[in-house]
Amino acid sequence: MTVLLLAGLLATVVVAYVLHPVVAGRWAPMEREVDELTEAQHRKRVALLALRDVEYDYHAGKLDDADYRKQKSQLSLEALTALDEEAGEWRTRFDASAHELGEREERARREEVEAEIAALRASIREGTVCTQCATPNPLESRYCGECGSALPGRERARRGT
Amino acid sequence: MIPALGEFALWIALPIALWGCALAFLGGRWLRGDLILSAERSTYAVFGLLFVASAGLIVAFMGDRFDYWYVYNYSSTNLHPFFKFSGLWAGQRGSLLFWALNLSFFSVLAVWLNRRRNRELMPYANGVLLAVTSFFIIITLFVTPPFEQLGFTPSDGRGLNPQLQNYWMTIHPPTLYLGFTAFTVPFAFAIAALLSGRLDARWIEGTRRWVLTSWFFLTLGIIFGMRWAYEELGWGGYWFWDPVENASLLPWLVATAFVHSIMIQENRGMLKVWNMGLVVLTFLMTIFATFLTRSGLIESVHSFAQNLTIAWIFLGFLGVVGTLSLGLIFWRLPLLHSERQFESLLSREAAFLLNNLVLLGAAFAVTWGTMFPLITEGLIGSRVAVGPPFFNQVNIPIGLVLLALMGIGPVIAWRKASARNLKRNFLLPTALGLAVGTVLYVAGVRHHYAWLTFTIGTFVLTIIVIEFWKGTRARARIEAENHFTAFIHLVRRNRRRWGGYIVHVGVVIMFMGFAGSAFDREARESLIPGESMSIVSAFGHEYTLTYQGLSTHQDPNMWRVIALMSIQRDGVEVGTMTTERQMVVAPPQPITEVGIRSTLFEDLYVILSTLDEQVGMGNEPQHQRATFQVLVNPLVPWIWYGGLIVAAGTLVALWPGAGVPTRIPAPGAGSGTAPGAERRREEASRPERAADPAAPVG
Ligand code: HEM
Ligand SMILES: [Zn+2]
Repeated sequence: MTVLLLAGLLATVVVAYVLHPVVAGRWAPMEREVDELTEAQHRKRVALLALRDVEYDYHAGKLDDADYRKQKSQLSLEALTALDEEAGEWRTRFDASAHELGEREERARREEVEAEIAALRASIREGTVCTQCATPNPLESRYCGECGSALPGRERARRGT
Repeated sequence: MIPALGEFALWIALPIALWGCALAFLGGRWLRGDLILSAERSTYAVFGLLFVASAGLIVAFMGDRFDYWYVYNYSSTNLHPFFKFSGLWAGQRGSLLFWALNLSFFSVLAVWLNRRRNRELMPYANGVLLAVTSFFIIITLFVTPPFEQLGFTPSDGRGLNPQLQNYWMTIHPPTLYLGFTAFTVPFAFAIAALLSGRLDARWIEGTRRWVLTSWFFLTLGIIFGMRWAYEELGWGGYWFWDPVENASLLPWLVATAFVHSIMIQENRGMLKVWNMGLVVLTFLMTIFATFLTRSGLIESVHSFAQNLTIAWIFLGFLGVVGTLSLGLIFWRLPLLHSERQFESLLSREAAFLLNNLVLLGAAFAVTWGTMFPLITEGLIGSRVAVGPPFFNQVNIPIGLVLLALMGIGPVIAWRKASARNLKRNFLLPTALGLAVGTVLYVAGVRHHYAWLTFTIGTFVLTIIVIEFWKGTRARARIEAENHFTAFIHLVRRNRRRWGGYIVHVGVVIMFMGFAGSAFDREARESLIPGESMSIVSAFGHEYTLTYQGLSTHQDPNMWRVIALMSIQRDGVEVGTMTTERQMVVAPPQPITEVGIRSTLFEDLYVILSTLDEQVGMGNEPQHQRATFQVLVNPLVPWIWYGGLIVAAGTLVALWPGAGVPTRIPAPGAGSGTAPGAERRREEASRPERAADPAAPVG
C-alpha cells in the first residue's frame, strides 16, 4: 500500500516537473551567450595561440631564426585574416542593431571597435603578442597587460639581437 | 519496499526518456524553447529515476533479498557488505542498469553545464543522449530485468564469483563504465553539430574536455583491470588479449587517435570528416565493448552472460547508429571541407596523421583477432581462436612505431619542418638513445623488441626532458624567475601541451614495463617446510625462498591455506611473504592468492600451485609438502607507476585553468574607459580559456 502511494507520488512529481514548461509556456534560453566565442573569434584565438607557441619555441631554442621568421609571418597572416573576419562579424551585428541606437552613438561605437582592431593588428605585426598568454599588447608595452610577463620583443631589443 | 519502488522508477524512466528525446529533437527543429526545457527536465528526471532504481537494487542486495533472481545469483548471506554493494555491477543485469545510470549522470552534467551555452547544439545533443539512455532502459526492462523475481525465497544466494571478490575488481568495472559512458557526450555533440549544421571548430573544442574525461577513465579502467589480472588470476601476467580486455582497449585506441586529431582540426582546420568518423567510431566501440563484455558472445575469463538475444539487439543498435551517423556525415560533406592542404610529409600534421593511422591499425588488428573465433565459426563451422602470439606479433611493432612517433610529433614543426629544425631537435636524443642501446647490447640484451623499446624510449624521454628544460630555462630567463617557479608557471600557462607530455612520459615508462616481460625468470619446485629454492632475476639479484610451513584458516565463505616463506635477497634476509590457496564454499571453486613482493625494478611473484594430497593429515613436515611456482618479473612496477603518471598528466591537461572566465563585452559596452583598453584586457584573457572552461563543457 505504502509502495503504491509512494510510487504514485513519485510519478506525479516527475510528470509535473517535466510537463511544466510546456503547460506554463516557460522557455529555455535560446540565444548565444555574449561570452561564447564566435567562429571568427575562435579562429583568431587559435592563431594567436599558435603565434605564442612559435614565439615560445623560438625562445626555447627549438626554432632557428629562419624558421621562426617564416612561421611567424605565416601565422601573423592567419591571425590578421581572422581579425578581419571578426571585424566583419562585428559590423554585421552593429548593422543589425543600428536601428536601436542613435546614429551618433552607433558611429562612435563603430569607431571604437575599429580603433581596437587597428591596435590589435599593430601588435600582431610588431610582435608584442605575449609569449605566455597570447595577449596582443599595445605597441610600446614592455610587459604584458594581462599577465605581467616581460614581452619578448622588448627582451630581444635589450639584448640587441 | 524500496526495491519495489526502484523497479517502478525504472518503468517510469522509460516514457520520460522517450518523451524527452522526442521533444528535444522537435524543440531543436521548431526552435521551441518550452519543448527544449521540458526535454532538459526529462534528462534530470531520468537520472533521478535511475538513481532510485539503482538504490533499490542495492537495498535488495544489502537486505539479502534472494527472492530477486539477480540477487540470488550474485550474492549470499555471508558476502562482505562491500561486495553486496558492488553487486549492482557484478553481473549483466545490474551492470546494464548501472551503465544507464552512469550515462544519465553524464547527460545531466552536460545539459547543466550547457544550460546557457551552445544553445543551438544542446537540443539535439540532449536528444541523442536521451535516445542512447532509452536504449539501455529498454534493454534493462525487457531483456535483462534486474528486478525479476523468482516467485519463492531461497534461504541463501549462490554467491559471488570469488575471483570478483577483489578490491580491484570492484573498482575496475565502474571506472571503465565511466569511460564508456562519458564518450557518449562527444558523440552526442558531434551528431548535434551534424544535425544543426553548426560544423565550425567550436563543437570540437567544446568536446575536447569530455573526450579527455572519458579517456582518463578508460585508461584507469584498463590499468585497474591489468592490476586485477596480475594479482588475482595467478599466471604472473597482466594482459592476456582476452576478449573482454580487448573490448576495453578498442575504444581507448580510437579515442587516443581522436585526442590527437582534434589538434589538427583546431590548429589547421583539416581532417574534419576524419574527426567525425573517429567520434562515431569510438562511440560504437564503447557500445561494442559493453556488448562483448555483457553478451557472452565470445567466451572469456570474465564474461558471464548467457543470453544471446541481447547480442542481436546490441548488433542491431550498432548497425542503426553506424548507418545513421554515416548518412549524416555524408549529407553534411559540403560543410566539412578542409580549410588547408597538407604541405609536407615532414610536419607535425603528418606525424599526427601517422599516429592516427597506426592507432587505428592496432584497433583493426585487435578487432580482427577478437572476432576471429566468430568468423571462423561462420566460415568453417568451428571456433579457431588466435592466441596472444598473434596479438603480440601485430601489436608490438605497432607500439614501437607509436613510441617513435611520440618523440617526433611534439617537436617537429607544423606545416613543413626544415632540415635545420630536425637536426636541432633530434641530434642529442638520437645520440642518447643509441648510447643506451649500446650499453644494453654490451650488457647482453639480445631481445630485439625489448632492445628497441628501451632505445626508442630513451630517445623519447630525452626529447621530453629537453622540452621541459628549454621551456623552463626560457621562462626563467625572460621572467627572471627561479627554475622551480618558472617550471610551475610554464606548465600552468599551457596545461594542454605539458599535460600531454607528462602523459607521454607515463606511456614510455609503461612500454618499458611491458618490455620487461621479455626477461621474466621462472622456477618451480616442490618443498617441505625447511627446504628452500632460489632464483636469479634478470637484474642479477638472487632470491632464496625458504618454506616455513602451512596454516589453514576458515573464513565465513572459504577455507584458506596459507604458506609462509622467508626471503633472502642476495644473501640478506629481507622479510617474509605469504601465498595462499583458497577453497570457496559458495560457489565451490579454488582460487589462488599470489604473494607479490615489489621493489622499484622487479616483482617477486610466488604462486602456491599445488598442495600434496597428504596436507592436513598431520603436522609433520612431510604432511605439508607443497609446490611453488616462483617468478621474478622485471619492470612490472613500472607499468603501475607509468599508469599513475599518465593519469596525473591527463588531469593536468584537463584541469580547469587558473584564469577567471571572462566575457567579451558586447561591442560598445563599458565605453566609459579608454577606448579599447578595457576590452583588450578582456579579450586578452580569452586565449587562456583554451585550457580552462570550468568543466568538461560540450
Ligand atoms: C599511446 C600513445 C599516446 C598516448 C596515450 C598519448 C596521449 C596524449 C594525451 C592524453 C595528450 C593530451 C591531449 C590534450 O590535452 O588535448 C597528448 C598530447 C600530445 N600528443 Fe600524444 N599520446 C600518444 C602518442 C602520441 C604520438 C605517437 C604522437 C606523435 C605524433 C603524439 C603527439 C602529441 C602531441 C604533439 C601532443 C600535444 C602537445 C601540445 O599540445 O603541444 N602523441 N598525447
Ligand atoms: Zn601575458
